[in-house]
Amino acid sequence: MDDTLSRRAQRTIAYGFLFFILISMATPFVWMISNTFKEQSQIFERQPTLIPEEPHLRNYVSLFVDFDFHKHFLNSAFIAVVHTFSHLFLASLAGFAFAKYNFPLKNFLFLVLLGSMMVPLYTIFIPLFVLVIRLGLVNSYAGVIIPGVAGAFGIFFMKQSMEAVPGELLDSARIDGASEFRIYWQIALPLVRPALAVLAVLAFMGSWNDFVWPLVVLRSRELQTLPVVMAGMVSLYRMEYGVVMAASLLSTLPILLLFLALQKQFLAGLTVGAVKS
Amino acid sequence: MSSESIVEDRGLRAWWSRSERKVVPYVFISPFYILFIVFSVGPLIYALYLSLHRWPGTGPMRHVGLGNYTYLAGDPVFLKSLWNTVYYAVGAFLFILPLALVLALLINSTLIRIKSLFRIGYFLPILTSTVAATIMFLLIFNNEFGLINQGLASLGIPALKWLDEELVKISVLAVVTWRYTGINVLYFLTGLQSIPPELYEAAQVDGAGTWAQFRYITLPQLRPIALFVGVVTMIGSFQLFAEPMLLANGGPNDASLTIANYLYRMGFTNAKLGYGSAIGWVLALIIFGLSFIQLYLFGAFRKED
Repeated sequence: MDDTLSRRAQRTIAYGFLFFILISMATPFVWMISNTFKEQSQIFERQPTLIPEEPHLRNYVSLFVDFDFHKHFLNSAFIAVVHTFSHLFLASLAGFAFAKYNFPLKNFLFLVLLGSMMVPLYTIFIPLFVLVIRLGLVNSYAGVIIPGVAGAFGIFFMKQSMEAVPGELLDSARIDGASEFRIYWQIALPLVRPALAVLAVLAFMGSWNDFVWPLVVLRSRELQTLPVVMAGMVSLYRMEYGVVMAASLLSTLPILLLFLALQKQFLAGLTVGAVKS
Repeated sequence: MSSESIVEDRGLRAWWSRSERKVVPYVFISPFYILFIVFSVGPLIYALYLSLHRWPGTGPMRHVGLGNYTYLAGDPVFLKSLWNTVYYAVGAFLFILPLALVLALLINSTLIRIKSLFRIGYFLPILTSTVAATIMFLLIFNNEFGLINQGLASLGIPALKWLDEELVKISVLAVVTWRYTGINVLYFLTGLQSIPPELYEAAQVDGAGTWAQFRYITLPQLRPIALFVGVVTMIGSFQLFAEPMLLANGGPNDASLTIANYLYRMGFTNAKLGYGSAIGWVLALIIFGLSFIQLYLFGAFRKED
């Protein structure tokens, strides 16, 4: 009896703590949503109100009319889509090579690949910017996309799943006279579709949320991505909190929807790197 | 087509069909290595070269030897940013990792039945961009109308200045904790789920209590994942950039400034590309050094038997 009671108490405490943290984490998000429907004067009020007294959509309207939110949204989307497809192609191609071929220097090259993940972004930041200027890529989407398109993590990730592709399948295609690229494209790639989906979400999210690199490369306002424009809204002399919060919320929605649609594969995929190391 | 070129073509084809499988893997992996050399290795070496010069981005460079580095060692703002960055890294280890471990242990325990609600709920913050996340917290920490101070006021407690010099680092840490706890919960959960249940069964047979099981089974078995989480947290903390910049613009009085913020200020705002590159190399050496120490402490270099 005593034992079951203490177990019940333990359970209550455990749930209490987990819910307390969950609510704490949800609070900033809920508060942000609430404030997108408020006037600046209501935001400044001493007494916090969760449900705005006279909710309105003026902040959202201002976002599109005064800040061209839709244009920057499309800029972000374009960069993220191009980055995602190029990254998936290069990562799966290299991952396929590392998983399914034996070639001289393979282990050494793979170590170099893993080591490349250790190079801190900020160490190469200034020379990379100089290089992008010299290549004439400054203020262009190519300058944002190309330097980071062949990430080592993606190759490592694709190698893990390409290893599960049966070698006999590839060999029988070779006997039929298929080229090595065709074997990759038509046999291996369709078999690793789940892994491609996970990597697609990760790549899209990384590009969509990227801030510092687009901040320095994209000089003219009409090219800029959402995080860059939003950061600019923060440092304005007189900040419109409601508008900035609306931008923050709308910029998060695509990733949130993508995640909720694919959460199962996504969570399984995220931890691959951790387990294998 | 002349007969000679047909023969040649046939020879080329024969060569290709013999060596396709030897050449192709190099072709497949070459994009990564070309981009890595051009956009990482090259800039890494160029950064070292730049760090030995004074250069405003245009015109001639002036060689200054190790001058940038010796100046850096006595630059009070750099030392402040170094201290702030160490503060954030230590804070991340003291707040995020223990919190994430406790949450993972609770979710993994038999006490809790609805596991996925917490797993997914804790994970959601990392989906927001650092920019959106930090903007959200402007409404929480604002000195006048922030949610926390409004809450304190309704309890009759005087407001605290969350974005002033004394507290701003805590506020930055709160944003970072909010955003990164969930992913670390997932990492720890993966580690916990890979511990063979037989270990616990055997320990229970031997009469080991909950604490003893945690101390002698869970903790040692979590070592690989803890190493991974530790290295990732350290590397991430030392490259903190957007949170202090957007929450307080590195201030007030450089109180929240990180090394990455200072590098950006020197390299891009003040056009001191040589000095900025020197900061970058010091940052790289710190990160390499600390990674090595972590790997050593966790015995990654010890031979397994």
